[in-house]
Amino acid sequence: MDQQVLSLSRVRKTYGNFCAVDDISLSIPKGAIYGFLGPNGAGKTTTIRMILDIIKPDSGEISILGKQSALDVRDRIGYLPEEKGLYKKMKVWAIIQYFAMLKGMDKSAAKERAFELLQKYGLKDFAENKVESLSKGMGQKVQVLAAVAHNPELVILDEPFSGLDPVNQSVLEELIRELASNGQTVVFSTHVMQHAERLCDHILLITRGKKIFDGTLGEARACIPRRVLLETADATDSIATLDGVSAVQLVAGDNDSSQWQVEISENLNPQEILRHCFDKHISLNRFEFVEPSLHDVFVHLVGDEAKEHVSR
Amino acid sequence: MNVIRLIALREYMENVRTKGFWITVLIIPVIIIGMFFLQTILSNATPTRYYILIDQSGQYEEAVAVAIEREHQRQILQEFVDYLLEHRLESDLETTVANAGNAASQFVDDVDADEVAALDQWLDSGGLNYALAMASPYLEQERPDFEAPEPQFIAADLPAEVNADGSVEEIVNTLRPYLSGSREVSAGDNSGSLFALILIPEDVDADIVRPGTMPQAQDPRRGIQYWASNLTDTRLPDAIARSINAEIREREYVDLGVNTSLVRNVQRTRLPVSQLDPTAQAGEEAVSMADTFRQFAPIGFVYLMFISLMQNVQYLLSNTVEEKSNRIIEVLLASVTADELMMGKLIGIGMAGLTTIAVWLLSFYLFISAYSSTETELISQMLDVILGSELIPWFVFYYFAGYALYSGVFLAIGSLCNTLKEAQALMTPMIIIQIIPIAMMAFVVMDPNNTLVRVMSWIPLFTPYLMMNRAAADPPMIDLVGTTLLLVVSIAAVLWLSGKIFRHGVLRTGQPPKILEMIRLLRVRT
Repeated sequence: MDQQVLSLSRVRKTYGNFCAVDDISLSIPKGAIYGFLGPNGAGKTTTIRMILDIIKPDSGEISILGKQSALDVRDRIGYLPEEKGLYKKMKVWAIIQYFAMLKGMDKSAAKERAFELLQKYGLKDFAENKVESLSKGMGQKVQVLAAVAHNPELVILDEPFSGLDPVNQSVLEELIRELASNGQTVVFSTHVMQHAERLCDHILLITRGKKIFDGTLGEARACIPRRVLLETADATDSIATLDGVSAVQLVAGDNDSSQWQVEISENLNPQEILRHCFDKHISLNRFEFVEPSLHDVFVHLVGDEAKEHVSR
Repeated sequence: MNVIRLIALREYMENVRTKGFWITVLIIPVIIIGMFFLQTILSNATPTRYYILIDQSGQYEEAVAVAIEREHQRQILQEFVDYLLEHRLESDLETTVANAGNAASQFVDDVDADEVAALDQWLDSGGLNYALAMASPYLEQERPDFEAPEPQFIAADLPAEVNADGSVEEIVNTLRPYLSGSREVSAGDNSGSLFALILIPEDVDADIVRPGTMPQAQDPRRGIQYWASNLTDTRLPDAIARSINAEIREREYVDLGVNTSLVRNVQRTRLPVSQLDPTAQAGEEAVSMADTFRQFAPIGFVYLMFISLMQNVQYLLSNTVEEKSNRIIEVLLASVTADELMMGKLIGIGMAGLTTIAVWLLSFYLFISAYSSTETELISQMLDVILGSELIPWFVFYYFAGYALYSGVFLAIGSLCNTLKEAQALMTPMIIIQIIPIAMMAFVVMDPNNTLVRVMSWIPLFTPYLMMNRAAADPPMIDLVGTTLLLVVSIAAVLWLSGKIFRHGVLRTGQPPKILEMIRLLRVRT
């Protein structure tokens, strides 16, 4: 945690009157899996492009692998852009070799590495095919392999999961975990929370160019209270008096039975509520403890803003 | 540097591996060689022409026969000259009038200088047999026999229904179906359509035109009547007119008591004109065939430059647009700088262009060595002159300069467009600009230091073409140095500007920018 692979300090980028990235600061430790989350158009891609020095920020500082500009350390970075594309006429292994060579690998090592990766990720049979004969998902996989072929210290993947089927999504998740276990740092952006939830140590949540949350997954979950769902026909007033219960809300109900949502603090064991109900003879039709998901956090933090943004 | 080489190599391989590249590369030699063969075939394939001569005056039949025989002999003479050129021992384009070393070369030169006189001499001295005996010591040992061409104009038998003594009207009306091709005439065992009817009316001498006499009322059927539906092959009427006029003049001489053999000798007296080159050293100022080629060589170079540049920049454009529309460019830009990418592309596509030129030269060379004849002999000597000429360094310089200049512009265009369609709209003006110097090519070679040409040479987009065009004519030093400086400065400026546009353009999506927006792009610091 002491070694920062990437840090941004008050980075800002505007296009005309539109502020794409507004005052973002972050720092990413070595070996982390770091997720950039945010609704469409939040500024994820712009931030990534600035990190790679493809576009320049209007103000703010970026430090990447100890340098001011990614161009100085580009051999140590792997990048998968948001919009995927490859040379259609090249063979699959050759294109991985080519990108690895652009990153400074020598010819034979790059070729060897290309075949090794293709073998490992189930594309061995397509190694001699031309890129144009691949399906979109396969092409994307090849491009991910091309981005990591030179064993970069920092891998930046912009929406790597979009367009992949569930099987290949989990292959890609596996690949990302493996990179991290090798001590490589992975930054990826997504608007699908499940991936981030499964993979990330840290997440950055941005919307409309502004940072909304930056921290560990646990810290993110702490942003919204834990909840217990109850269904009972009896009165629930007494539950609210328990220590650590912050609110009891009626979610839905009819004459026979009502559903209640009980928000509890972090240090309250949900078992306490169950015991309380037992003691007070509140007969439960349903008792469910819900750990907040990143999805809930996302909706809670971004909420209506994202909706407005999408439909804009 | 290593990265540039890698990008260049990939661009090169990707181009060279496509079918389209080889189609473009091979189509030019195929067309040129095909045209060459087509011409040879067409010139050999002129069909036999049947004619009918009706001489009611009874005076000119022999003269017409002589005229037709002369035409045949002229053809033999021409083909014999080709045969000599092909098989003589030392075929050297540096031969001039002054140094034509032997009788065979002298003969070729005579034919070149005055064909009519040479033909007279040829007929007088015994024609083909004499010429073969005369030239054989100067010809190669291993050579095919000379095959004299068949006579092209053959007298057909008069169809039985024609009365040669009938009225002109009658004869023409009877022969009309033959002349229009609906009936055939026979000549010996052969038959074919009637090419021409030559009709000499009885009172033809009344139509002789002499200086001083006013021509009579314009009668379309004055003099000898030549009836033919083919209006383009004028060899027969020309030969007849020449021969009959010679006959009439001979009679006039006799009537005036002039010695006709003296007159003929006087007619064949001539003074040669030597073309001399004032810039050559003393003793070498005679202008040879090779010198003439050298003056025309710039046209070849300009044309080569044009075709090759057009091909290259199109590749450059479509490659850039492909990378943009595929969004590969973003990965590339994370790996290399925009400048490296641009340089790599320029070099890679430039190499593909050089490959094209090399393949063209090689295919002509192979063709010439595989198929040798008089014409290809000439081409190969022309190639030697061109390749050995001092214009090569000019060509190399202007080729690369032109390439750098135009590719800079096209690369910038490519980087601003997302589809080839958009790009085509932007590149059309650039193509039209290149066509201007090409259209001026022949004119510039003849008048290389014309004021208009000199002024236009200072426009950098024209400089490579026009200065290459003028290269053989020693352009003034001020033009040379000035335009070169201007060209180099503009190349630097264009590459710098297009580098800026490229950097902005490649990540752009959507419509190509408006002019104002482009200017703003250029002013933004990157």
